[in-house]
Amino acid sequence: MLKLEGLHTFYGNIEALKGLDLTVEEGEIIALLGANGAGKTTTLNCISGLIPPRRGRVFFDGEDITGHSPESLVARGLIEVPEGRRIFPALTVMENLKMGAYLRRDQPEISRDLDYVFNLFPILRARAGQSGGTLSGGEQQMLAISRALMGRPRMLLLDEPSLGLAPLIIRNIFDIIRQINMERGTTVLLVEQNANLALKVADRAYILTTGLITLSGSAEVLMADEGIRKAYLGG
Amino acid sequence: MELFLDLLISGLTKGSIYALIALGYTMVYGIVGLINFAHGEIYMIGAFIALIASLALSQAGLAGWGLLVSVAAAAVVYSAMYGWTVEKIAYKPLRGSSRLSPLISAIGMSIFLQNYVQLLQSPNFLTFPSLVPELGFLAPVSHIVNSTQLFIWLATALIMTALTVLIKFTRLGLSMRAVSQDPDMARLSGVNIDRVISSTFVIGSALAAVGGLLIGCYMRQIDFYIGFLAGMKAFTAAVLGGIGSIPGAVLGALVLGFAESFAAGFISSDYEDAVAFVLLIVILIARPGGLMGAAQTQKV
Ligand SMILES: Nc1ncnc2c1ncn2[C@@H]1O[C@H](COP(=O)(O)OP(=O)(O)OP(=O)(O)O)[C@@H](O)[C@H]1O
Ligand SMILES: [Mg+2]
Repeated sequence: MLKLEGLHTFYGNIEALKGLDLTVEEGEIIALLGANGAGKTTTLNCISGLIPPRRGRVFFDGEDITGHSPESLVARGLIEVPEGRRIFPALTVMENLKMGAYLRRDQPEISRDLDYVFNLFPILRARAGQSGGTLSGGEQQMLAISRALMGRPRMLLLDEPSLGLAPLIIRNIFDIIRQINMERGTTVLLVEQNANLALKVADRAYILTTGLITLSGSAEVLMADEGIRKAYLGG
Repeated sequence: MELFLDLLISGLTKGSIYALIALGYTMVYGIVGLINFAHGEIYMIGAFIALIASLALSQAGLAGWGLLVSVAAAAVVYSAMYGWTVEKIAYKPLRGSSRLSPLISAIGMSIFLQNYVQLLQSPNFLTFPSLVPELGFLAPVSHIVNSTQLFIWLATALIMTALTVLIKFTRLGLSMRAVSQDPDMARLSGVNIDRVISSTFVIGSALAAVGGLLIGCYMRQIDFYIGFLAGMKAFTAAVLGGIGSIPGAVLGALVLGFAESFAAGFISSDYEDAVAFVLLIVILIARPGGLMGAAQTQKV
C-alpha cells in the first residue's frame, strides 16, 4: 500500500534521511522505531507531503505521490496525526473534528463517523463545545486521532501518540489503534520511541538509526531477540 | 451639548470607515502574518471605481438606491480583483522568505498603485457625488445627523455582522481560523492554504472598497493619495485593538474615530491626524498586545 524508495531529505545542509526504504502492506500496523533525532518525524512528513524529499520516491496504492501536496493526499485517505497532536487551540472540540472532515461532503456519513469517534472516546462528547486548547494532554491525543478518523483515512500516520501521557491513557490509546485497524481495516504506520509498547500492537517494525533503516522484521522476532532489545530498544 | 453630539456622530462615522479598512489588515495578518501596506491603496481604488461607476451608471439612467447598490457592487468586485492580484504578484512569490521582503514588496506595491491611479485618473481632487438618497424621516434632525452618516453606520454594522457569521459559521470561516492557528495542521486536514489566503485578500479588499465608496459619499471628494493616511490610521486601529483580532480591529477603529473627532473639536483640528499616532504609542506602552490582543504581539 505504501512504499518508500531511497528517500533523501535535507534541512539546509543536514541530511536527515539518507536513502530510506520501507514498505507497508494494506491492513498492517507497522512500527517505526528509533532514538531522538533518528528521522522518524521527518519520514512521516515526507510521506504526508509536508516536507518533500530531495531524492527518492513515495508510492501510495502503486501510484507515485512524491511531491504531492498534503491536502491532495488527505483526499486520497493518507492522513497524518503529527507529533505534538497539533490541536487547533482556539477551535472547539467539535470544530476540530469538523476540520478533520474538511474535504468531505457526505453529511450522513460524517455524522456516523462522529458517532463512531464519540463512542471510541466518550470524553470528547462531553467536551464538544470546549476549546481545544483547554483539553488535557490525553484528551488532546484522543482528539487528534479522532480528527484524523473524521477524514476516513485508509492509512494513518501516527507520530508518537504516547508522548507525555500516563500509562493508563497510553494503554487506552493503543487499544483503540488496534481496534480501528481491525474494525475499519485502517492501515497504520506508528512512530514510537516506546518500543516495547509499539511492538505489542505492531505486525512488523523498522528500526531507524540516523536516517537509515538498520533493522526490520516481525514484531515478535524483534521483541524476542535479547541482543536486539539491548542494542536498539533500551533493554 | 450640541458640539459634543456632533463630535460623537463624526467620530462614529469615521470610526466605521476605519473599521472597514482595519479588518483587511487584521485578517491578512491573522492568516499570513503580513502587514499588507498596499491595503490603503485598495480602499483608494475602491473610491475611484465607485466614482467612475457612479458617473457611468447615472448616465445609463440609474438613480437612487439602485444606483448606490450597483456602484457598491462594481467597487467591491473590481477592488476584490485588485486585492487578489496584489497577493498573487507581490506576496505569493515571497512566501517562505524572510519577513522583511514581503514588507518591502508591500510598500513598493503601495507606491505603484498610487502612481498608477495618479497617472490614469488625475493628480487632483475629484468631486464625488452624494449617492445616498435623502431619508425623509431624518429631516427634523438633519442638522445633527444626515442620511449619509446613518447609512454609513448601518452599512458598517450589517457588514460586520455578515463577516462575523462568515467567520464563525461557514466552512470558509472555519478554514480561515484553522490556517491562522496552525497552517501546517490545516494542510494536513486537507485545506488548500493558497485558496484561503486568496479568499482573505478578496474579502479584505471588498470591505475596503465599501469603505472607499462611503468615504467618497461622506467627504464628497477623493484623490489618489487618500489611501495613504487612511491606511496608516486603519493599520493603527488594527494594532490598537490587537492585530489579528477581528473584534479588536473594530474596537480600535471606533476608539480612534472618537479620539480624533474629540481632539479636533476640543483641542484643534490641527492635531486630528497626530492623535492616531499618539494613541498608538500610549496604548502600545500600556498594553503591548493591543486592547483585545494576546499579551504577546509576536505571532507564532
Ligand atoms: N526544521 C528542522 N531544521 C533543521 N533540522 C531539523 C529540522 N527538523 C528536524 N531536524 C533534524 O533532523 C533530524 C531528524 O529529526 P526528526 O524530527 O525527524 O527526528 P525524530 O526521530 O522524529 O526525533 P524525536 O524522537 O525526537 O521526535 C534531527 O537531527 C533533527 O535535528
Ligand atoms: Mg519526532
